[in-house]
Amino acid sequence: MKLAVFNGSPRRESSNTRVLMEHFLNGFMATEENTYEIAYLKDVKDRDTFVSLFQDAEHVILASPLYVDAMPAVVKDFIESLEPLCQREGNPDIGFVVQSGFPEPEHSRYLERYYEKLAKRLGCRYKGTVIRGAGENVRAGPGLMNRGLYKSFYKLGEAFGKTGEFDRKIVASLAKPERLSRLKFRIISIVSNLMYWNRMLKKNNAYDKRFDRPYAAEAKTD
Amino acid sequence: MKITILNGNPDASNVVFDDYLKKLSDALLSDRNETTIFTLRDMDLKYCRGCFGCWVKTPGECVVKDDTRKIRRQYINSDLALFASPVVMGFTSALLKRAHERFIPLIHPYFELVDGEMHHLSRYDKYPLMALLLEKGKDTDEEDMEIISDIYRRDAINFKTSFCFTRVTSDPIEEVANEISGL
Repeated sequence: MKLAVFNGSPRRESSNTRVLMEHFLNGFMATEENTYEIAYLKDVKDRDTFVSLFQDAEHVILASPLYVDAMPAVVKDFIESLEPLCQREGNPDIGFVVQSGFPEPEHSRYLERYYEKLAKRLGCRYKGTVIRGAGENVRAGPGLMNRGLYKSFYKLGEAFGKTGEFDRKIVASLAKPERLSRLKFRIISIVSNLMYWNRMLKKNNAYDKRFDRPYAAEAKTD
Repeated sequence: MKITILNGNPDASNVVFDDYLKKLSDALLSDRNETTIFTLRDMDLKYCRGCFGCWVKTPGECVVKDDTRKIRRQYINSDLALFASPVVMGFTSALLKRAHERFIPLIHPYFELVDGEMHHLSRYDKYPLMALLLEKGKDTDEEDMEIISDIYRRDAINFKTSFCFTRVTSDPIEEVANEISGL
């Protein structure tokens, strides 16, 4: 099976999306004769090669973080460049991976609806959308915490490598939890504020400025 | 009312769209509003890199210097932001999305629960209302319109405000202007 992966993260190789897809692709490659290519949509100068990679692929996965409730702008740029291919005979099958900083999958469900419609618009068979919350844990959380997550992405890729489909059970388990309990929210917010945001703010000598409002009406203009 | 119009039309040859915005702005001005139109395609507008510099290095300010500083200042001091764009492949333009992502400095990294969901804290006391003005494409259907509106409605939660309406450029300008003035 030949797979084309489009990584839509503005952080490119240092992205959480890249790490998750690496585990997916390790699983995918467990099936002999499978091959893949990765394109980083951030490299906007290569846009023409993205289109031909898409055109020639049998299977496509478009993976990205959720950016302000939708696809990152580089992903939308790419989607716009696919316009001439709408309803073309022989378009690839397409699946999507969306990972968000927010832990609940609800944040990404709206983009999921867009992607399902996009597949229809392109005339690509829709394989589904894998949604994963708390994606920032990949780079910020302790390694042990992510072990199960990486295993799930490996298994997802392994099954995909055999069937060309996303395993529904794994997709469902990745999307959990649907809602956070109040207690869990408090734990997550305290831990992330102290261990993550405050630590970086202090490292940058910016902790005292963390509530700054540079554009408030009373602030001086440029 | 202070209104910021973000013109996300990527195509300078689509003068009909720009004209609509100009006339809408004139109608709003004659009704004692203040308006500012940002024609995004003519501005220096980098992509958000997801570096979080605006949250942990220079809180509230993007580390990338470009025209978005002007846009953010105008936006946060407005009463209404009109996100205007032709519908391209079922969504607002990549150009408008590029600008929109650069509004992240306006909120705070810390988390809070909003209706049982995790969101970020406000940085400012007040945020502009949000509304959409879309130009339908040949392939735009009702489902597209719903998806776009729903995504912007979600976005309004993250930008600490309410989503007011979705209008299309086939609506009479007076009608849209009246709706805005009545907010």
